[in-house]
Amino acid sequence: MKLVNLIAQVDRGKCVGCKTCEKVCPVLAIKVVDGKAEVDVDRCRGCAACEQRCPVYAISMQKRDNPLLVSVDIASVNYDEILKLCSNALLHPEQVVCYCTGTRAEEIAAAILKGAKSPEDISFMTGARTGCKVECIQPILRLLEAAGVKSTPPQGGWQWYGRTVTVWEIPKKVREKHSSRGFYFDEDEKLLDRVRTAPLQGRGVK
Amino acid sequence: MRSPIPPIPPRKSQYGIDPSLVKKRVSELPGMTSVLIKELFPDMPDIIYPTDKGIEAVRKATEEALKHVDMSMIKPEHSVNILASHHGFTLLGGEPYAEMLKTLKDVIQAKTGCKDIRLRAGVGLRFRETEEYIKRYGLDKYFNGKAIGIAPIDEGVPIETEIGTLYGIKRAYDADWIVHAHNSDVREVHFHRQVDRAVKPFGMSYARIETRSTYHQNMGPRAANFVARAIFDSPFVQKKFAFACFLTVAPHGIIGVDADNDLYALNDRITFIGCRYYGKMMTLLGSIDECIVALDFPCPVVYVFAGGVIYANFAGANTDLYDLDSVPLPSYTWYTEAFYGKNGKPLLEDIPPLNPAIKMCIHNYAWVGYPSAFFSEHIPTVVVGREQADLFNRDPQNLNYMKHALIADDLETAMEFAYKVTGTRKVLIFDGAIGGINLSEPLAEYLLKKAPEVNEKVENELLPKWLRQRGVDIRIRDQVGKKYAVSM
Repeated sequence: MKLVNLIAQVDRGKCVGCKTCEKVCPVLAIKVVDGKAEVDVDRCRGCAACEQRCPVYAISMQKRDNPLLVSVDIASVNYDEILKLCSNALLHPEQVVCYCTGTRAEEIAAAILKGAKSPEDISFMTGARTGCKVECIQPILRLLEAAGVKSTPPQGGWQWYGRTVTVWEIPKKVREKHSSRGFYFDEDEKLLDRVRTAPLQGRGVK
Repeated sequence: MRSPIPPIPPRKSQYGIDPSLVKKRVSELPGMTSVLIKELFPDMPDIIYPTDKGIEAVRKATEEALKHVDMSMIKPEHSVNILASHHGFTLLGGEPYAEMLKTLKDVIQAKTGCKDIRLRAGVGLRFRETEEYIKRYGLDKYFNGKAIGIAPIDEGVPIETEIGTLYGIKRAYDADWIVHAHNSDVREVHFHRQVDRAVKPFGMSYARIETRSTYHQNMGPRAANFVARAIFDSPFVQKKFAFACFLTVAPHGIIGVDADNDLYALNDRITFIGCRYYGKMMTLLGSIDECIVALDFPCPVVYVFAGGVIYANFAGANTDLYDLDSVPLPSYTWYTEAFYGKNGKPLLEDIPPLNPAIKMCIHNYAWVGYPSAFFSEHIPTVVVGREQADLFNRDPQNLNYMKHALIADDLETAMEFAYKVTGTRKVLIFDGAIGGINLSEPLAEYLLKKAPEVNEKVENELLPKWLRQRGVDIRIRDQVGKKYAVSM
């Protein structure tokens, strides 16, 4: 869930049409048309990725007159399905996956169950990954994969490249080779297993 | 008691309020004093900066350290990327790190004849932060227009590692050679646990979002550091890696410059420095029974400094962050934050709470650009000034911070409130005071009394254990001891 209170605004006089904004936008809300960037007001989630990477400082973030609350209601899907999806992704449903918006795994799972097919869809629906834009891509990709969704990165974009390794997948020989240098693979795997199977605190509650 | 040390001044930045809005520093309030780190721990090594020799001492130390480094692989027709990180610029005002970077360029050019030397400066979650530093320290001009900030959402490059494909930032690696220019300051001990500290930027400030998310979401709190090692060990990086050059830092200042073609040898040395010197400060601050914390430094909430220790570490100082065996999950890491369920409590009973010694937090001056709502949610927080509150409400990473914090019109009102509500007069100020800590008199007395026993405990009991857990031979003490003199 996120309260979207900002919107990107392009200074057309400064914009050089380089498309950096297009390539970094996590919800595909900005596009270069006829050599100038244009913002889709309804899609923008106010993350400021475009503003922060524009090489000519042509974008600023403005307050929205009418902030939007974006969220997926977990009560609108079967919670057993959420449980199954999170379990397959090795995540606890109440685990926070987006630290900036406080979005939990169950809401991402609900978005997928309601039809999200990509990280971009998930960010648009839940607001996750529109804070720091960095830390939550992997659990999102894990949940999509667990749902059997084959997502591909936006063509020509830099939004994301792919899912990476989890601790459960670290090969035994790697664990053995490096464990004497302070890497606690086996112990952390057990810790994450305990977390993902911990009791729910508020099943189905917003 | 000693007068407070002048704190690091507010800095103009898009991530903080205008410096003119910081009307008063916490150290200016009645009853504030300071203790020097050397008073607490007389065996801290001598510093090279700040001293009366000025910034020139950093240049000389860098030149000296580089004398022993092999640069023969760099040919005049090659290109070199000096890889830097934002963090170095937060140390002692940033000038020492900037000077080391400038000296690095000069020495590489003089030794190899190479002229295509670029600066690529990575960031955390404030994507323009190093752009600001590049301008501030004239690095763009110094590097002939070849100094740029790089961010984790910039174009990526796949890196094949022994644990599969990870991703770096393309422009970090777009040269024939890379030089890893970093520092030994420990900063995020809660994340890296002083494991492979020297290697970490390969998994962070030089890395794409996929890699950073792997570290913070996929691996677990003590396995995560392997992400950086996997990237550094990859054929892709090894083919480009020339050497590393580190500003070596202790809680009271810059103690030298260390450079090596062997990053792991350097890593062992800074592991020792981190465990020994910062370990003492953290153990001492962890012994505080109750206090009010005051944030007053140009950095995000978690990164404000007191005696070389950041607020995020003090928030976890009720556990031993260096103890890898007994503390699987510190009181604060992103894993910890993730593992709080819907009723606001940890999903596992054995997850420790945030440091219960912190009775209240007075947020006089700190930046946005790092998700910090977890702190205001779990530690009573008063933010000084409506403008600062507005700034947090506009930050996509902190839209929930002010939901849990109060606003005070001015610092005096905030502190009076804190004194009344908490009942303690112990105040610890995170304002980056160089060489010491600004704090209230009762807390100064407490720390001065406690420090000798902490010193003994770390030297004799904790340090050997910490090093053993990281596979570092205790005999490194002699090697590092020769490098850094101690005047008692």
